[in-house]
Amino acid sequence: MKYFKFILVLILLILNLSCGEGIAPEPIVQTGFSGTISFVGNWPQGITRTHIVVFKDPLLSAGDFNALNLKFVSVEIPYGSQVFYFNSADTAVVKISEGEFSYVAVAQQKIPNVSLLRKDWVVVGVYYAGGDTTKPGKLVIPQNTLVKNINIICDFNNPPPQPPGG
Amino acid sequence: MNIIKSKNFLPGNRTVWWVFIPGAHILWWAGLIFILISVESSAQQFRIYGTVKDNSDNPLIGANVILLGAEKGAATDKEGNFEIRNVSSGLYTLEVSMVGFKTVKVADLNIFDQSKRVDFVLEPIVIEAGQVIITANKYEQDISDLPVSAEVIPYEKLLRKNFTNLEDAMRYVPGVNMTSYQISIRGSSGYSKGAGTRVLLAYDGIPFYTGDTGEIIWESIPVTQLERVEIIKGASSSLYGSAAIGGVVNVITKKIPNEPVTYIKSSIGVWDDPYYSEWKWADNLRILNSLTLSHSRKIGDLGIAASLSRIEDMSYKQSGFYHRYIGYLKAEYAFSEASSATLFFNSLNQKSGNFLYWKDSRNALIPPEADQGQSIITNRQMLGLLFKKIISENFFINFRGSYYRSDWKDQTESANSAVTDLFRVEVQLNNSLTDKLFLISGFESSFSAVSSDIFGNPIALSLGAYSQAELKFNFPLIATLGLRYDFTKPDTLESSGALSPKLGLNYKVNENLIFRSSIAFGFRAPTLAETFTSTTASGITIKPNPRLKPESNFTFEIGSIYKPCDNLTFDAAIFQNEFYDFIEPGVDRSDGLIYFDNVVRARIQGAELSCNIKLLDEKLSLSISHTYLWSRDLEKKKSLKYRPRQLSFVTADYSFLDFLLGIDLRYWSRVEEIDTELIDLGLVPDGENRAAVYVLDLRAGYNFSNLGLPIRMNFNANNIFNYNYVELIGNLAPIRNYSFSLELIF
Repeated sequence: MKYFKFILVLILLILNLSCGEGIAPEPIVQTGFSGTISFVGNWPQGITRTHIVVFKDPLLSAGDFNALNLKFVSVEIPYGSQVFYFNSADTAVVKISEGEFSYVAVAQQKIPNVSLLRKDWVVVGVYYAGGDTTKPGKLVIPQNTLVKNINIICDFNNPPPQPPGG
Repeated sequence: MNIIKSKNFLPGNRTVWWVFIPGAHILWWAGLIFILISVESSAQQFRIYGTVKDNSDNPLIGANVILLGAEKGAATDKEGNFEIRNVSSGLYTLEVSMVGFKTVKVADLNIFDQSKRVDFVLEPIVIEAGQVIITANKYEQDISDLPVSAEVIPYEKLLRKNFTNLEDAMRYVPGVNMTSYQISIRGSSGYSKGAGTRVLLAYDGIPFYTGDTGEIIWESIPVTQLERVEIIKGASSSLYGSAAIGGVVNVITKKIPNEPVTYIKSSIGVWDDPYYSEWKWADNLRILNSLTLSHSRKIGDLGIAASLSRIEDMSYKQSGFYHRYIGYLKAEYAFSEASSATLFFNSLNQKSGNFLYWKDSRNALIPPEADQGQSIITNRQMLGLLFKKIISENFFINFRGSYYRSDWKDQTESANSAVTDLFRVEVQLNNSLTDKLFLISGFESSFSAVSSDIFGNPIALSLGAYSQAELKFNFPLIATLGLRYDFTKPDTLESSGALSPKLGLNYKVNENLIFRSSIAFGFRAPTLAETFTSTTASGITIKPNPRLKPESNFTFEIGSIYKPCDNLTFDAAIFQNEFYDFIEPGVDRSDGLIYFDNVVRARIQGAELSCNIKLLDEKLSLSISHTYLWSRDLEKKKSLKYRPRQLSFVTADYSFLDFLLGIDLRYWSRVEEIDTELIDLGLVPDGENRAAVYVLDLRAGYNFSNLGLPIRMNFNANNIFNYNYVELIGNLAPIRNYSFSLELIF
């Protein structure tokens, strides 16, 4: 009978623990950035995809264009768009979180399958902060904050400097 | 095809034409079998027959009746009858065993000029000692004689829980945890995205894993056709070679009874609503159902069992559905008293959804938009042959051959597909050199060829040779010494070889106290998938790694069984597992691509304690177990991925008249390490969400056989508190569900 009591206590203990709900939905927190992408000129032929991309560290070599450095990828921007409004919270393939980011750009690809190789991408627009077009602008996203007005102009007739490795 | 014909001349003026094609050594062995069959002699034959019942006078179906010495046997039919035919005059020992009952032996059974009737009454047992197990050393042994830890899942348990997939049953084995469909015995495996396994699944001893990914296809196993499932914990490469580095799961199929038996099982179930209303994605009931039809009979010396199962699950997850058909055929033929062959055929046809990871924790039961509506078509067929030939009283041969074809196609963005052919042959020689020394030796070979757009078109060859001696001393010590050498050659890449020795000891201090210990080395060759995968899915590119080397391990265990009284048994073990060149998926930081590499030097230490108790005049049986695992990546100095540190199980069964009530409690502690790379890459939003596992299941059953109706029914309520947890990141484990099954046997 003493075994029975011990087992009963054990079962009640586990029952008590299993009454918890375990994992739960994360609360919706608006952390990210939003803005407008404007396209100038005619879209090139053969474009298979266009995305807004954000890299954590500066793109100083072809190796920096890698998946671990890539912190945000938007949904595809439709071919032929003139203006694309975005909010990273609801237009992300790869979602962004708070932090400081060195390179925000719009990049296009012409190959059929998605690739993360630098040579397969062409940058058509770069985010510049405070009107300084001499270097890519930094994007700083504080926790629980939606940073607005991250606007990029993509001028197909005047493309921006390409990162190394292209 | 380049065909060469040659001529062989055999004694007796028999001529055999041989056709040599690449990899056709199967034909050579088939020829050997033919020769062995042809040298049979005849003598005056008798039979041994009788019944096997439990102590309530209920017939026991499927009990094993073995005539030791003659290596013949039979299984009881639905009325508990058995019959062993073609028995020569002599003095024998007759043994009856059945999982869940004490084994009974009748010694000095004199068969001389007449047939004999022997009736048995088996006593139920709670403790594991007394059970027959075949997996540990590739021949039948009492589980209490083993030098390693082992578990047996009897068919009755599979039945009571309404399991339609063997994978689900593995979650209730002490010391075992599952990460999605990948099994880990005592922490041997994490999650490798379907590429490779560190536990070997065998089908009546025939290895059963795919030739491309090397993974276990649990859903192929026809659960209703199993007699029991044997699980060996710890490296078993010294007998089973690569893939058995972490242990072996061997499914033993039912023996074919002498009388015809038709079996119908139908089950229906429903998924409850998820715990949180925001997770509810479907307005209709999510149904799961299954139907199995099987028939077995003997026609002369030929026994046949066939079954067809249809299993459907609408799933609690969007894109988690499947429609599955499992075909099964087993044909046994006794050529003579000394030789028999068993042919297996197993097929799986399945269409399933493709749920990789959730959209996010607020949409935990639906995949990202890009993955919705995708499906996978799978067709797999296995043909196996077992042949047994008794050469003399002390020497017999086993042959195991198989062909496994796997064909799958993703109807997804990546549109991957693969067709793989895998051939295996094994010859095992069993020699009882003296009363105290038993020697088994064998040779094994496999060849696989893949045609795919994800792995390329590689081929792989492996060869293995093993020998193991079991020595019984004049005092109650059994020593097992084994050695195996394996050679693997993946396509054009460099070949590799590995030696896997082992030493096991079993010492019976007395009837109530047994000690066991084992030391073993294991190895695992990388699968073709780990070496050659080249694909892109959801923006992630996986690249091949032709430099991948085999991984190896060294394992040590010491354990004991202690039975202080008839109703109480303890089993305790401590173990250590050292892994070298562990193969893990990772990210190449130079290009951001994913690949498999030898990265980890790992150590797993742990202890396991289980206890079986019978209470309330043996109406209540309880099994309690706890496993402690301390796994470490010795280079990064942190826990290995997907290994819970604590695993506990409590199972209670209460039988009253023909009712059976049961409860199962399962606890796994929160895993410390997961695939953080996938979260960093943004592929699994909220992927860090995980919790300890607390699952409570209830079940009830009723057997109508005592009312004259050949019907059994079972009701199950699983995860009754609708507790939310994940085994794999971004994959909510099964929520609360109910199922009801009805079996008809006639």
